[in-house]
Formats: sequence, structure tokens, C-alpha cells
Amino acid sequence: MNPQPLITTTEAVDKAFYVIFGISGIALLGITVAMVYLVWRYNRKREPVPLSQKDHNAWLEATWIIIPTILVGIMFWYGWEGYLSLRRIPDNAIPIQGSSRMWSWLFTYENGKTSDKLYVPVGQPVKVLLTSEDVLHSFYVPAFRVKRDCVPGMENYVWFVAEQPGSYDLFCAEYCGVAHSSMITTVEAIPATEFAAWLKAQPATADAGKELLQKHGCLGCHSLNGSPMVGPSFQGIGGRQVIVVSGGESRTLTSDRTYLEKSIVDPGADIVEGYPPAMPPYAGRIPEEELAGMLDYLTGLNAKEQSAEVTGDNAVSEAVKATEEKESGQSGQPAEATEPVNHASPGEDLAGKNGCLGCHSTDGSRRVGPSFKGLMGSERTVVKDGHEVTVTADADYLIRAIRDPGAEIAKDYPPAMPPYPGLSDEDIKALQAWLETLE
Amino acid sequence: MSEVTATASNDRGFFGEGNYPGIFGWIFSTDHKRIGLLYFWSVTIFFCVGVLLGLLLRLELFAPGETIMSAQSYNATFTLHGVIMIFLFIIPGIPAAFGNMIMPIQIGARDVSFPKLNLFSWYLYITGAVLAVTSLFTGGGPPDTGWTFYVPFSAQTSTNVSLAAIAVFILGFSSILTGLNFVTTIHRLRTKGMTWMRIPLFTWSLYATAWIQILATPVIGITVALLFAERVLGTGLFDPSQGGDPIMFQHLFWIYSHPAVYIMVLPGMGVISDIIPVFSRKPAFGYKAIVVSSIAIAFAGSLVWAHHMYTSGMSDMAVMIFSFLTFIVAIPSAIKVFNWLATMYQGSILLDPPLLYALSFILLFTIGGLTGLVLGAAAADVHVHDTYFVVGHFHFVMFGGTGMAFFAAMHYWLPKIYGRMYDKTVATVAWGVIMIGFLILYISMKVVGMQGMPRRYYDYVPEFTGLNQLATVGSWILAVGLILMFVNIFRGIFKGDPVEANPWGGACLEWQIPSPPPTENFGEEDPVVTHGPYDFKKAGIL
Repeated sequence: MNPQPLITTTEAVDKAFYVIFGISGIALLGITVAMVYLVWRYNRKREPVPLSQKDHNAWLEATWIIIPTILVGIMFWYGWEGYLSLRRIPDNAIPIQGSSRMWSWLFTYENGKTSDKLYVPVGQPVKVLLTSEDVLHSFYVPAFRVKRDCVPGMENYVWFVAEQPGSYDLFCAEYCGVAHSSMITTVEAIPATEFAAWLKAQPATADAGKELLQKHGCLGCHSLNGSPMVGPSFQGIGGRQVIVVSGGESRTLTSDRTYLEKSIVDPGADIVEGYPPAMPPYAGRIPEEELAGMLDYLTGLNAKEQSAEVTGDNAVSEAVKATEEKESGQSGQPAEATEPVNHASPGEDLAGKNGCLGCHSTDGSRRVGPSFKGLMGSERTVVKDGHEVTVTADADYLIRAIRDPGAEIAKDYPPAMPPYPGLSDEDIKALQAWLETLE
Repeated sequence: MSEVTATASNDRGFFGEGNYPGIFGWIFSTDHKRIGLLYFWSVTIFFCVGVLLGLLLRLELFAPGETIMSAQSYNATFTLHGVIMIFLFIIPGIPAAFGNMIMPIQIGARDVSFPKLNLFSWYLYITGAVLAVTSLFTGGGPPDTGWTFYVPFSAQTSTNVSLAAIAVFILGFSSILTGLNFVTTIHRLRTKGMTWMRIPLFTWSLYATAWIQILATPVIGITVALLFAERVLGTGLFDPSQGGDPIMFQHLFWIYSHPAVYIMVLPGMGVISDIIPVFSRKPAFGYKAIVVSSIAIAFAGSLVWAHHMYTSGMSDMAVMIFSFLTFIVAIPSAIKVFNWLATMYQGSILLDPPLLYALSFILLFTIGGLTGLVLGAAAADVHVHDTYFVVGHFHFVMFGGTGMAFFAAMHYWLPKIYGRMYDKTVATVAWGVIMIGFLILYISMKVVGMQGMPRRYYDYVPEFTGLNQLATVGSWILAVGLILMFVNIFRGIFKGDPVEANPWGGACLEWQIPSPPPTENFGEEDPVVTHGPYDFKKAGIL
């Protein structure tokens, strides 16, 4: 029962912007024109002697007190009214828990499903209940004009509604340390039916240990594939030699269970050489059994075992992909075994999990990037080294576009896509097989 | 204006007779002009360091990803840029440097009320500055919290925040003591005939500023002391798991730091209010309104601090009240702008460098003020809070406002203090280059902020690349302009042509004594004031 049409957060805020920018623009123009005119008209060359020595005029001064007072009153009112729209949550908003920590986001839905991207259904308001596990963060989605700090010890909220499907940047806007500017994810607005299916789909049963690492945000700073991020990679961490700086002196340690546990509960004691002392202490923040699970997993990550794992840059997509591979290898029928509602082909599954569909539609509609529909085999105009060239979208092009998307940018599209080196050749073949079905 | 007659101005004035030889004649001097110059050179050096750090930040942001430094170094650099520019340049900039040099002369005094305390304030300033610099190389390395020191991050980080907090504490005392000295001086040491309504507007602005310094600065002392205790003793006052509240820190911080914005900008407004009448040969229009608006800004400006916190989680009622008060404080600022324009009406305007910088103050401060209205409005602020829009806004107000006023003051008063003139053509060219660079740099920041780029971002999404590169190019143009301006003015004051007592045709007392002024400013007898500060007819200028 919502008698009034829903005013989106974007509309509410933009109204205030238009009013204030309008009034300010006129005021700025007036002041600038007046200043230039006065300097020109009363220049000493033109007027060697001042025309008057008048130094007050009560009426004039009263006028320029009263008019600005009225104008600022109007601007205050529009600002306040728009703000109220941001605070009034529509009755039918879906609640989602938004938890922040250094330096990642975790969204938990009513049915317990978690995600590090914020999936929302198009056209349906959502309210995100914001908390922080460590320092201040701020939930900011420029497209919806919403921002609210995540404060330890209290719960804040924002609500918004995505009217168009798409992928929208979600930034952390409150400075939170060394990887503040990497604390970025996206709001994925997908059609309501797709959202319902996504919500029902059980997350692939990943390694329990890996899931714990993701849950506690470890993978925001530590990769699984050897690439250094804010902190050292977990690849081969079980039993390797590490050089640490303790109290100003460096020494070499073996990365055993005791060391790893100490590094989690009191990370400031021994800092791995070459890395900033950035990690917050997790003492008391991870339940005993979960800590044990994490240590089991980490000590198992010795160099030998890891060599079988894949190479890639993005720790999170890496985790998803590794899971994917494991499933395919073990059960042979991953979709049926773990995602009962989703009978997608492996390629489609990959496109979903790696976030491709956030920017590329399958129905020919334009999003951040070009649609997948009819892509394979078509002639594409791309910008390469500043020149427009025409290429055929074949298997080779697909590999180039995924591994190094910045080299050839589809004409009229932004160079927005990050490289996905984590996708193996087999993955890309699977993607290609699926894309070829999208005629 | 007075019975004082200019003596032959080819002696070296107060430069000639120090009480001690060489450098000791300066660092042990209690003469307000010498202390003013100590401050001037200290803040100018720190300004140049701050500019250098700013250029490094812009260079890092020229492209996404790592360009010239790591994320940790970037965070330390913007923290240092903020701390230096705010605590070591803008806050002491105009009041402690030009206020000390000029204010006692403007009211016909021979020095401030407490000359030794004045020197002590400078020592506190230097001590704070040395500690701030020491914090970079000791303990856990340079602080990485931003100049706002928000908890819980600042309570947790292993970098040397504790020492930086002590530095801010000491710098606060320097500011309080200067304020105390100025209020006392303006009350007690005005010469015969210098009634309250004959005080030049620059001195009036210092008076309003001094009250904020005295009343608001203790709060930052308390705030950083509590932060220190939080770090060293683990008091938990801001830790919710121990019954504390991180938002309380923000209130305490801004109860000082918002009024501090007016400590920064009011003296700048005073400089502009003094310069425009002289170069227009017309009395300041609405003198009383300008005085009242200074006091009103000082008062109302103390009640708007929480407009930095609309998104923090404080109550909607608080948001409404602070938004409303924020709009109220815009009115006295608008009044000043209209009064400055009206002063030029029907005048005889000479576009010399001090006026050029004063006019750019009006333009840039107006843009900064109007974008401040965007931030004051609750709904609009939610979108642009903590984005580059805010960074652009406060650089317009602080650099475009106070910074330009500082440059205007340099071009207006340094020839008086040093008795030599700079090259006006070069000064005008430098002004043009600075304006072009400034507008490119900070307008780009505002636009990229409107598009949603958060501030304090070491790395950014590729959509923001173009505007960031434009801003960086702007920073280079600005740097060229600044170098040109400083080289020209420093060359001028050391090697330029000697100037007479009153090169601009001013009617205030400082223009009635020789350039450079003698040690105790006035001869045997104190001056007697018989007319207002901008009465060019009675002063014999017209």
C-alpha cells in the first residue's frame, strides 16, 4: 500500500542539487559580472578621481541581507526534504545486512546467503543495515546518491531502489587505512526473477577453510595465487620461511601453526619484511573453532599442494573459480550437485560467477560493455592504440578481451573492464561455447 | 590621520637595531615586527613544503594504480600535506605573521600587550612543528590517519600518531596565546582617538578571530589528549566495546576544527576589506555591517560543527538543526561580498597586484562559499560528502580564500615592512598563471567528486582518469605561477627600488610612518587619530 509514487533516492537528492546549483549559478554569474564591470567602468584611467565617497545605504544593505536570507531558506528546505526521502524506508524494502571491515564488504540476505557483491532486484527497494567490524567505513553508491557511515558499535541504514539493471560502483567513502581505495565492490541490479533464483541457489560448497578466510575478510589483502596485495600471499604459506621485522630487527621464521596463529591474533608483533604494518589484530574476533579451521587450511597450503592451483590476480574470483574447478573435477555434474535450481551450461555459470553479466547483457541491450548477444563471429569496431580497427570476434579475440581488455576497447564504450587473468584457457573455451549459443 | 610625520625613510628602520647580534637579534627579539617576520618566513617555508607534497599527491593520481609511490606512502603524504597546510600554514598564516607585523601599528601601539608571551608563542609553534616533523621518522613511521585523526583507526594504527597528537596539542597553545595577546592589545593599547569605530577592518577581523582562538582551541587540545590516552593507556572512551563512542570523537574534533575554518578565513576577509578601499579610493562600504558580520561569523560559526557529520549516523534532528545553522552562517559572508563590490562602485580603481589578489579572493571564495551551500544542504551533502567535491570546495575556500588573501597581504604590506618594491608586471603575470592553474586543478576535483570519486583514494576506477589528469596538469601550472610569484616578491623586497612611506595611498596609521617602520613604530609622541581608517579626504590622499 503505497499511495504515492515511489521517489527514488536519486530523484530526491538531484532535486536539491538542481535548486542549489541553479541559485548558486545565478549568484556567481551576477557577482562575477558586477566585479568585472566595476573594474572596467571605474578604472583609474577612466575615473582619475572617485565619483563619490558614499559609504553606506541602509535600504541597499537591508536588501542584500533579506534576499540572501530567503534564498538560503529555500536551499535549506530542499536539502532537508530530500534528506527525509533518504531516511524514509519504503514498507516493501528487502532487508540486507551490510557488514564492512578492512577492506571488504559482506552482504547477508534474509535466508542466510552471503555475497561480497550486493545483488539487488530491479525495481524493488532494498534497505542495507550497515555495521563495521573494525574502524569507520562508509557505504557509498554514487549512482543512487546514498552514503552512510559504518560505525563500530551501532547500526546505520541506507535504502535505495535500482530502476535499471546494471552494475553500479559501491565505494568505501570513509578513510580506513592502506587499502581504503581498494574497498570497492558493486551493486548488481538484476531482474526480479533472476534475483529470486540467485537468492535460492545455494553457494557452491567450497573448502570450509577458504570460506572462513573469505568470511573474515582475509582474502581482501592476501591472495591465494602468489600475487602480493596489501599483505603477503597465502600461496605456499604452510611451512615456508619468512623474514619478519620484530621490534625493529629482522629475523627469519618458519611459517608454522604457532606463527600463523600469532600473526592473526597479534599481527603487529612480527611484520613480514616489505609489507606495511597494516593488519588489525583479530584477537577475540574469530571464534575458537573457526580460527582452528582457518589454521588447518593455511598450514595445508604448502608449496607442493599449491602448485596444482591456478594462477590469477583477483583473490575473490580466484576462490570462486578454484571451487568451480574442484566441482567439475570431482562430481562431473556441478550444476546439479550444488545449484539445484540452476541448469546453466558451464560457460553461463562462469559468466555469472565472474561478474561478466553485470556489464554485458545477453539480450542485446546496452550496459557498461557491449552485449554478448550475437557477439561470436561478428565484426567489431574497436579502438586500439588510438586508432579504430575492425576485428572479428573469434576465439583469439575472446582471449585477448578477457586477459587484456584495455588493449582493444569496443567503440563507444568506456575502458572500464578489469583484466581477468584468473580464467584458464578451458574456462574461456567453455565461455565461448556458451556465447556461440547466443545468436 | 595623525600628527606623525614620515622621517627620512632611507635608514633601515627596525632592521637596524637588534638587541643581540646576528640571528639572536631575531630569535630573542620581542619586537612585534621581528616576531611577525619570524612567523612569516616559518609559515612560508611550510607552505612550500605543503605545496611540494600536494604536487606529489597529484602526480600519484595522474593514472590509476601505482604511479610514483605505494599506498602507505600516499596515505602518509596526504596526512602530512593536511597537517602542514592547516596547523603550520593557514591557522598561523595571516594572524600570526601579518597580524603581528601590522596590527599594533594600525591601532597606534608600540608593541603587543605581552611581547615576551608573543615570542614564547613562536617558540611553541616551532616546537610543535619540530615534533610534527619528528613523528615522520620515529616510532612506527609517518602518521597515516589524515589530518582529522578519526577513531577507531587513529587509535589502532601502528604509525606515530601519538607524537603528532602532542605536536597538535602544543601548536594549539601557540594559537591560544596569540589570540589572548591580540584581544588584550586591541582592548588596552589603542592610541588616543582610536575609537572602536575607527579600527581598521583588518584589525577588527583579527579581534573576532582571536576570540575563536581563545574559546575553541582548548577543545582540540582536549581531543588530541584523549586520543593520546586512548592509544597509550587504552582508556576506551571512543571504543564502543568499552562503553565509548567513536562519533563523540568527531563532535569533539569539529567543535574546534569547524570554528578553525573561520580562524583561517576571517583574517583573510580582513585583508581584503583593507585593500579594496585603498585601491578604489573609497571608504569601505558598510563598515559597521562588515564589523558586525565578522563577529556574527565568529559566533554562528561556532555552532555549525556537526555539518561535517550528516552521514555519520547522528540523529536526523541533529542533521536538520546543523543544516539550518549552516545556512544562517552563509548570510554574513554574503554581506561582506556585496559590501566589497559596493566599495568599488563609483571609485577610482587601480588594478595593482594587491587588488588583483584581493579580487581573486572574492571570486574564488564566492565559488567556495556557494559550493559550501551544496554541502550544507542535507540531501546534496549525502552524495558529495567525503568525495573530491569536498576537497575542491575547501581548497577554493582555504587556498582561493585565505591563500589568496595571504598573497594579497604579501604584495600589500611587505613593501612597507622591507621598504622595497617588487616588479608589478611580473606580479601580475604570476597572478594570471596562478588563477589559470588554480581553476583547472580545483574545478576538475569538484567535477570528479560530483561523479562520485571518494577522497583519500590512492587508486581509482578508470572512469575518473581524464579529470584526474586534468587536475594534475592544473597543479603544474599553479606551481609555475607560485614559483614566479615568490621569486618576484622575494627579489623585490631584498633588491627592489626603495619605496616611500605610503606607496598605495592608504589612510591607516601604518602608512603614516616610514618604510621600513622604526623599532617602536612611532617617534617620541604617540599618534593621535582624528578620522576613520578609510577617510581619504581627511588623510590628504584625495
